[in-house]
Amino acid sequence: MSLAKWTVGLMAGMSTLAIAAQADAGEVRVTVAEYSAKTAPYFADVKKEFEAANPGITVKFEVVPWDVLLQKLTTDITAGTNADLSIIGTRWLIDFVQQDVAEPLDGYIKPDFKDRFIDTFLSPSIMDGKTYGLPIAASARAMYYNKELFEKADIAKPPATWTELQDDARKIKALGSGTFGFGLQGKEIETDVYYYYAMWSQGTEILNKDGTSGLSTPGALEAAKLYKSMIDEGLTEPGVTSNNREDVQNLFKQGKVGMMITAPFLSNQIKDEAPNLKYGVAAIPAGPTGARGTYGVTDSIIMFKNSKNKDEAWKLLDFLFTTEQRAKFTQGEGFLPVNKEEAKMDYYVNNADLAAFTALLPDARFAPVIPGWEEVAQITSDAMQKIYLGGDPEAGLKDAAAKANAVLKK
Amino acid sequence: MQNRFLPYLLTLPSLFLAAVVIFWPVWDLIQISTHEVSRFGQLRDFNDFANFAALAADPDFTAALWRTGQWTVMVVGGALLLSIPVAMILNTDFYGRGIARVIIMLPWAVSLTMTAVVWRWALSGESGMLNSALIGLGLIDHNIQWLASAETAFPMQVLIGILVTVPFTTTIFLGGLSSIPDDLYEAAALEGATPLQQFREITFPLLKPFINIAIVLNTIYVFNSFPIIWVMTQGGPANSTDILVTHLYKLAFRIGKLGEASAVSLVMFAILLVFTMIYVRLAMREQRT
Repeated sequence: MSLAKWTVGLMAGMSTLAIAAQADAGEVRVTVAEYSAKTAPYFADVKKEFEAANPGITVKFEVVPWDVLLQKLTTDITAGTNADLSIIGTRWLIDFVQQDVAEPLDGYIKPDFKDRFIDTFLSPSIMDGKTYGLPIAASARAMYYNKELFEKADIAKPPATWTELQDDARKIKALGSGTFGFGLQGKEIETDVYYYYAMWSQGTEILNKDGTSGLSTPGALEAAKLYKSMIDEGLTEPGVTSNNREDVQNLFKQGKVGMMITAPFLSNQIKDEAPNLKYGVAAIPAGPTGARGTYGVTDSIIMFKNSKNKDEAWKLLDFLFTTEQRAKFTQGEGFLPVNKEEAKMDYYVNNADLAAFTALLPDARFAPVIPGWEEVAQITSDAMQKIYLGGDPEAGLKDAAAKANAVLKK
Repeated sequence: MQNRFLPYLLTLPSLFLAAVVIFWPVWDLIQISTHEVSRFGQLRDFNDFANFAALAADPDFTAALWRTGQWTVMVVGGALLLSIPVAMILNTDFYGRGIARVIIMLPWAVSLTMTAVVWRWALSGESGMLNSALIGLGLIDHNIQWLASAETAFPMQVLIGILVTVPFTTTIFLGGLSSIPDDLYEAAALEGATPLQQFREITFPLLKPFINIAIVLNTIYVFNSFPIIWVMTQGGPANSTDILVTHLYKLAFRIGKLGEASAVSLVMFAILLVFTMIYVRLAMREQRT
């Protein structure tokens, strides 16, 4: 083959590549997080239904595991190959807004659309008066307790305060036979959050009023001492720093743990994997002053500024946030309803587990909307791990507060 | 004239490929690491090597650097020590050798991530296989929390690292052993050499070039190896099992400091480059004499 022919062939090949790389008109690409095994089938159904109702628009869902979602978005955005829409953790939103990659949706949102949402869940996605995302998933945390262990240990009702929780944990520990009173998470995502439950009940917030880290306050120290004393006393599962949230949940499903704090999706998992487990859901224990806090989380779906098919993308969003679609998704994944009409459905009203979660919503704290939040969370998790491993709480928290303040000052 | 340029001409295509695959990303890394960079990789101003200064001041980075050295030396050293006898046994003729070879090679066929996931389960404190096996054998009387602290987690990670490095190393040595002619051993045996003497005077010297290759390649692989440590502990608890790659990943994709992460990866690149150059030069000089 002559050189000229080669060149022609190469050019032809490259031009087909170039055409393929360009987004088709009317195609909406969406990056979605894989929450469970039910996520991908749900979005496959959405694609079918939406495309049937909207001829001319094709939808492409990219289902990505949670752990690598931020990594994928970072590389996609850096390379300019990001999708039109994406699910993100709402706590990341400020970075997206500051870097000017998220499109404000106010131009599309009609009053009746806005009215579909429960305010608590929509407000974290609003920044500087502009709505940058819609809450696709919402969750909060509450305390699960094993009714069978409680009965055996002669405990009448779930603990209302941390002092009661310690007493109950002692009674469950006394049962022996490999049962642990309180499941304490000490590894990976939300290790810091597990500590905030105790911290909030001391009236301490993640950020002080002046914007500095709350870790150096007396309340933060009390909370760390509480967890450390429980570890030292053997009231938690052994090897706290080797157990992530799923590990503690597994111990709970096996009936080995008396109490643990986690998200509503544990109810769905218990239904599937341990249907005989007798459990209840209660409020997170309060501190000496009656203060208590739970962690509220939303994930938002955002539109990228560089999207070429914004109108089509909006149509898809409109479809995703109809009551029917919301109910199907939320119930499958075990999240909380974000849609007012949806919240009135029998499924939620008659569900004792979910009622315990929604009752806690007035006490819900969302991750602070500050740049560098992930780093502050990482600093806190590292500090807690050191304390759980036997480090001195006072020195550990002081050090962490100094590091966090250095990040917050930027 | 033609003779002098021909070698360069012939290496040109691969040089071009290397430039695209290696030099371009390295150039990009240099750019990112010497500039202020946004959360999503947009370059801002040149920042006087502030990223490198931040690394030097970060105790987590120095700890990870030191640990990477330990990790590499222990895994590569352990794999070498284990692979030489394994290769020698597999090189002798015995019944079922084929099966034995397959068994040794099997860990190689399983993805590293999958191996690490399985070990993470096996090392779980309350429901792990290792603990129940040890209790069943009466070796321990209570569960050991293997992954709860670096004192037990890191040695286990090193052991797993050795386990997955052995197949590749053994393969190299098997190739080396089969290139040693049998008559050397026959002659040595006739002269009355003991097996130990045979190993020291024949096997080891003739295997040396293969050991050198194994050291260089394994060092590069192990130094950069991410899955074992990431899957089992994510470098935790409290960064106490971090090596440079896991530290880099956290910097880049957890915290979003792309500049510092690029600086880490340049440091890693430089260390490996210097190591390889020194080592290859030493090994080659040895061979010439």
